[in-house]
Amino acid sequence: MDTLELIRGALADYIDTPAENIVPEAVLADIGVDSLTLAELLFDLEDKHAVHLGDDIPRPVTVGDLVALVAPYLGGSGALAA
Amino acid sequence: MNRRVVVTGLGWVTPLGRDVDAAFDALLGGRSGLALHRVGTGEPSYEVVAGICREFDPVAEFGKPRSNQMDRFSQLGLAAALDAWSMAGLEHLSPEARETVGVHWGTGVGATATMDRGYQDLLVNKKARISPLSIVLGMHNAAGSHIALALGLGGPCSTHSVACASATMAIGQAFQAIRAGSADVAVAGGSDAPFGLGSVAAWKSLQVLAEGDQASAPRACRPFSADRAGLVLAEAGAALVLEDYEHARARGATILAEMLGFGASCDHSHLTKPFQDGQVRALRAVLRDAQLMPKDVQYVNAHGTATQEGDPTEIAALRAVFEADAAALRVSATKSMHGHAMGAAGALEACITVMSLRRQRIPPTAGCEEVDVSCQGVRHVLGVGQDAADLRVALSSSFAFGGSNAVLALGQPG
Repeated sequence: MDTLELIRGALADYIDTPAENIVPEAVLADIGVDSLTLAELLFDLEDKHAVHLGDDIPRPVTVGDLVALVAPYLGGSGALAA
Repeated sequence: MNRRVVVTGLGWVTPLGRDVDAAFDALLGGRSGLALHRVGTGEPSYEVVAGICREFDPVAEFGKPRSNQMDRFSQLGLAAALDAWSMAGLEHLSPEARETVGVHWGTGVGATATMDRGYQDLLVNKKARISPLSIVLGMHNAAGSHIALALGLGGPCSTHSVACASATMAIGQAFQAIRAGSADVAVAGGSDAPFGLGSVAAWKSLQVLAEGDQASAPRACRPFSADRAGLVLAEAGAALVLEDYEHARARGATILAEMLGFGASCDHSHLTKPFQDGQVRALRAVLRDAQLMPKDVQYVNAHGTATQEGDPTEIAALRAVFEADAAALRVSATKSMHGHAMGAAGALEACITVMSLRRQRIPPTAGCEEVDVSCQGVRHVLGVGQDAADLRVALSSSFAFGGSNAVLALGQPG
């Protein structure tokens, strides 16, 4: 599974936005991901995949930023064209 | 000079449903919303008689992003407050006017599900950390904050945690603020969702919960009855919009009832044992505040939890205050049907009292077939509701653990 698909799956627990609208250029705040939800999501991803994204990570603004942030840790391709 | 305060909106989410008229009709019919409910999925878990708002779906109501950021007690409270605001017809109140509107909320046990989840992760799942939302979901003032956020209300946002008197105390504070002229409109009420595993375990340990099986659960809570066997936990949210009378009239609002007074006291005698003198002080305080004589009151929506000690103490306090008028005073405990909603109870029962005034009908104490000899001396409304064409003034009482007592006086508008 590429990272975008993984993010889409993870976000389904947190937002109502249809998967097809969770695209790399989508702004996270516009699709219902505020700072609190983002923190919860990142904790959840770290726990599920037993990785640590770091203590001082840049805050992603778009879905693409989020994919780029987590892809190196989750073994995904980070292929944003998916 | 004191201003008159009126109720222009109410809303509730209850074990008997969300629709105000339908739920009140259910109460008048003596219908119970209590049933067996399993708390917890592992070991231990408990099957308890409970009042659960089964039809309430927070995700459908608020969407995932917002509902995920609220514990159930906040979800119930927000839903009730939005309904009350809508009933009050305040959707078009300007942003500037909303900056002075306060939220006065009550919760007794707060975010029990969130606390459970955190301890489960720490102690059972052995996680080194818990959800970053734990604080914002778990704080007692979360419900009030969500209401203020959703409605854009910029006045004072206070939360009262006074066990079973929480919402009554909150409503009283809102009433006093409007009466004194510091606000024209306020949202007041309470919410609780006490079905976290730890919360239920704690209540079971106190040995005050009524037990029952599937058949007997709906009538497990029998206040004032000779065979009463304890209280039934419930979840609920309930809210009122309180408003300055002139403000309500100027905008053509429907006035549901007038809030006439508020009285409070502390037993200062015992943490859990109810105390007649403390309740008497609260009852006399509300009558004094509302400038009422005992004979002016026709109905009391009692605290009535169906505990061995609480019910006789409450009736004794009513007898002491109402003296010769006690025998004609109609009394009922609607917890027999919706259960004990903890910090929300006072708001739910204040809303029921408003509906009683509005419909001129008094809901009953259900399940009580024989009034205990220790609970006699008032005119109990039993079984099904009664018509009450003479109903002009009613009280709604909350007598809490910790010895905190609070009573509201409500009257017909006009």
